[in-house]
Amino acid sequence: MFARRLGPTARLLIWLLVGVSCVVADVRYHALEGLRSGFSLLLQPAREAMRAPTDIAAELGGFFVRHRLLQKERDALLIERARLMISVNDAAELARENTELRTLLQLQSRPGQQVVHAARLYQGHDWFAQRITLDQGGRAGLRSGLPVVDASGLVGQVSRVYPRSSEVTLVSSPQQLTPVMVERTGQRGLAAGSGQGRMELRYMPAQTDIRAGDRLLTSGIDRVYPAGIPVARVSRVSRSQSSPYLRVESLPLAGLERSRAVLVLVAEPQVTTP
Amino acid sequence: MNVATETGSWRRILGTLILAVLLEQLPWSGWALALRPDFVLVGVLFWTLHQPARISFGAAFVLGLLADFQDGTVFGQHAIAYVIGVYLVLFLRLRLLQFDPLRQAAQLFPIFLAVQLAVLLVGWLAVNPPTGLAMLLPVLSSTVLWYLVALLMRLWHGKGMQDRA
Repeated sequence: MFARRLGPTARLLIWLLVGVSCVVADVRYHALEGLRSGFSLLLQPAREAMRAPTDIAAELGGFFVRHRLLQKERDALLIERARLMISVNDAAELARENTELRTLLQLQSRPGQQVVHAARLYQGHDWFAQRITLDQGGRAGLRSGLPVVDASGLVGQVSRVYPRSSEVTLVSSPQQLTPVMVERTGQRGLAAGSGQGRMELRYMPAQTDIRAGDRLLTSGIDRVYPAGIPVARVSRVSRSQSSPYLRVESLPLAGLERSRAVLVLVAEPQVTTP
Repeated sequence: MNVATETGSWRRILGTLILAVLLEQLPWSGWALALRPDFVLVGVLFWTLHQPARISFGAAFVLGLLADFQDGTVFGQHAIAYVIGVYLVLFLRLRLLQFDPLRQAAQLFPIFLAVQLAVLLVGWLAVNPPTGLAMLLPVLSSTVLWYLVALLMRLWHGKGMQDRA
């Protein structure tokens, strides 16, 4: 039996060769996407099942929330609702005015924004790229490249789509670029993720008017993200002698690590033909 | 090789490996994620140590591909690293089997470290530089997990198990 087996070193070399060819096939030729969807189909039920223990823990925690706290929250929500009703009326008025003006200008009206609700299913280690897995995928109409937001800002961009789940690259992921503008001045720029939940604003000339506390919104010039989604808040601006650009650090506004429910903005609504 | 007949039925091997995969599917996040031991790696190396005829390179490679899928990294990154880990365990096998759980875990530490450095190196060459050194934290937690598992096995099978092997 042992005479037929190769020695450990030979087997190591063979498997290393297989491994290297896997890396090359994946990086160069993107040839292994099928394997990825296979794994996703295989692990989907397991992940949905393993979400149950934390959900149950959250349920139990919620059960013991005090009555008083709930009442307080309800009062706050009622006030919030009254305030929102006013702005909804305003918005309806503006939308009516807008359509009238657009017809006057004979512009095509923008396609309605369709959203897909999704929940975070899984998060991997963030050593090389920061990604989360959502529990909605191609069947819900998601495509690669769509923006993902939560209640407080831009979360990221859908980067891989499987039938029933999808992978989102977070805005703070290295190499992930987001075109932004400074809310206060309208100055446009390019925000790049720098890992560990931070972002930096690239190529800002040294005389730019920008300071800590400024909000960065999506600028909308890339036609990927709609304009005006909050992205990040500038946390530190520093000048360096050697570079002609400012060093602008910022923190994402969306709860990248925390938020469990997100919205995927599906830009063009699906046309349903009877 | 009485250890083999005692501890390693296929059912037990598959059971522990599936349990390890399931544990990794829990929605870990934040600090828990950063400190999460590599359950699958510990499982694979454990069975490589005790059942080298059944679990070695092939299983390590496939489970490595699974780990690559989980982290959304390049296919082959963890697979290569796991295979290197298996080789190191096979190389040091007779030596490792002589030690009690604590010393065994201490000797596994450099192996876990080598595996993680292989992950880092392949990722660095294939994709981009990693963000920070937080990726070395699971090395510590995996070592602790190994110690607990080895201790449990020893309690389970009675004291002299590893001495006779």
